[in-house]
Amino acid sequence: MSTEIRAELPPELLAQAHAYVEEGWATDVNELLTEALRRYLESHSSQLSEQFIREDVDWGLNGNE
Amino acid sequence: MNDAPATSVVCDAGPLIHLDQIDCLDLLADFSRVIVPSVVWSEVDQHRPHALRQSGVKFERAKPSAGPSVELASLCRLLSLHAGEIQALQIAQEFRAGPFLTDDTAARLAANQLKISAHGTLGILLRAIRRKQRTSEQILEVLHALPARSTLHVKRELLTEIIRQVEN
Repeated sequence: MSTEIRAELPPELLAQAHAYVEEGWATDVNELLTEALRRYLESHSSQLSEQFIREDVDWGLNGNE
Repeated sequence: MNDAPATSVVCDAGPLIHLDQIDCLDLLADFSRVIVPSVVWSEVDQHRPHALRQSGVKFERAKPSAGPSVELASLCRLLSLHAGEIQALQIAQEFRAGPFLTDDTAARLAANQLKISAHGTLGILLRAIRRKQRTSEQILEVLHALPARSTLHVKRELLTEIIRQVEN
């Protein structure tokens, strides 16, 4: 099941997405956006972002430069 | 991972834009070289035209001399990294430069895999207290204003925890 959403996209990005679909790399823009979002969420997991920020805080406050 | 005294840093667009938004770009003057990949330079120039003209910071526009290594190219594809992030990682590898500054989780993950030390805007802000570039009070003020003044997204609870850590 999928849900319809409204989103504003930069025109150049949308044009690139349409061109990608027209070339046959994806069935349609919906499929492309779903895959792009899935990949983004996988590589930007909340836990990982938090872990990196905690490491950063430790470096910032206690680094040994 | 090498975290020896930093003489140079390689920057992704995020920290340059975020530090500029909160008037803290001058904190980068503590590094002898601030290497900005040419793709990142163009991106920052487009969003914050005055940022890279910050006096006192030694910005250096750079391009990698060759294409990315097989390992880097594979990682970039897997993590869908942007052109600027790819160039920055390439340059960090090629120049053996100090930390790679990025606020992007995927770019940081790639840096970890490549054994490149990576830090972000928050690290630079907190480092400023340790390096006596700012007082704790000044940084606390910036941290409180961060959600309103910058496009850096940090989970609210985590930001509150960081603020408490600085207060103590």
